[in-house]
Amino acid sequence: MTALTAQRLSGHPPTDADAIAFVEHLVATPSVSGSEADAVRVYVHAGARIGMRCEIDRAGNGVARRGPEGAGVRIALLGHIDTVPGRIPVRTEGGVLHGRGSVDAKGPLAAMLVAAARADLPPGVALDVIAAVGEETHGSPGAVYVRDRMRPDACIIGEPSGWDGVTLGYKGRLVVHAQSVRPCAHSAGPDPSAGDDIHAWWARTLAAVERLNEGRAGAFERVQAKILRVHTSEDDAHERARIEAGFRIPVGLAPGDVLAIAERSARGEIEVTSSGGEHAVRSDRNDPVARALTHAVRGEGGRPRLKVKTGTADFNVVAPVWRCPIAAYGPGDSSLDHTPEERLDLDEYLRSIGVLRRAIEALARELRPPGR
Amino acid sequence: MDQQITGITTECPECAGEVPFDRPPLAGQVIPCPGCAAELEVVGLNPIRVDLAPEVEEDWGE
Repeated sequence: MTALTAQRLSGHPPTDADAIAFVEHLVATPSVSGSEADAVRVYVHAGARIGMRCEIDRAGNGVARRGPEGAGVRIALLGHIDTVPGRIPVRTEGGVLHGRGSVDAKGPLAAMLVAAARADLPPGVALDVIAAVGEETHGSPGAVYVRDRMRPDACIIGEPSGWDGVTLGYKGRLVVHAQSVRPCAHSAGPDPSAGDDIHAWWARTLAAVERLNEGRAGAFERVQAKILRVHTSEDDAHERARIEAGFRIPVGLAPGDVLAIAERSARGEIEVTSSGGEHAVRSDRNDPVARALTHAVRGEGGRPRLKVKTGTADFNVVAPVWRCPIAAYGPGDSSLDHTPEERLDLDEYLRSIGVLRRAIEALARELRPPGR
Repeated sequence: MDQQITGITTECPECAGEVPFDRPPLAGQVIPCPGCAAELEVVGLNPIRVDLAPEVEEDWGE
């Protein structure tokens, strides 16, 4: 574990110019999943410069802390520093920062760090701002590491919701791998091919999913099934057909429920395995973190928008274990995630810092230990 | 603590009916109007003000 000593510079607390320079530096430092170390160093050095106690944990996450070690109340701000691949020339034009990760999710992460440094905290309240690694990979190793080692009293997940948006929940996810194997045969013969078998399995699976979706309105409430990859191969003896399918799962269903559908549809003829397996999560709109964020949006002059998302995030990883007030927030348009058009409006970024600061301060007041 | 104890009420912006609070309201709190069932959000505490709460939208992405 690498620890940095807090060294407050004359610029503390960070100015808007500092905040913009920080997010530009972070976005300009590549950090595709599995290669985040350089960006994590940028993060912890920036945190130390603005007065945070910073370290790199054993999972490779960057962690910046404020407040007493033994604080009675801890608020976690959990962002991620890794990105999907894709080089987008990093540049700021007309107040817009272009670059991979500017939206998903270095913008939200940088906003959380700056807001945490600026917030006025009552005694007995501590903040942990975490730049997790590996969020874009199966298993989310950075979030799993912190999930198993801390129990915050409240959590803000750093993901793009737009500066006036608050995300209450995410769907769950399961990836199913199905394979059909048959002895090689002439295509003019009477038997179906491995490809026919796997196609029939998928048709049965889709029909079962549609039956399950009857009476469910809206994408957040329905199981969504989509083929991610199709592959066929053959050798001297066998032909193989494989499908990798992604399922997005609503609240109230478990990944195991969806796997059971895929297995029943296999009828013993198709090999079915799975990976991933996140449960859907959704906070109540009266959740203290959701309340703090929506009220903070109004405080910054906006009209809050509440969202539930059909994707997944580290929200799905930590919420079922921490069972604390939780919501996701961050600047940026999530429809630009993973696209070559990824970009962040810097005015929106600065407004989001104001929202986060207000929300952190409101949460700290509400959750602070009695008598403080 | 019930309404009689708090004595805190406000007016629904949708139906103009009385909206009671059975405990001191919190900023950002969402409550249903007992008259018209509109979802109301507490947008101010001093004085207490409520506005129509935003609907929850569906969005995609992480």
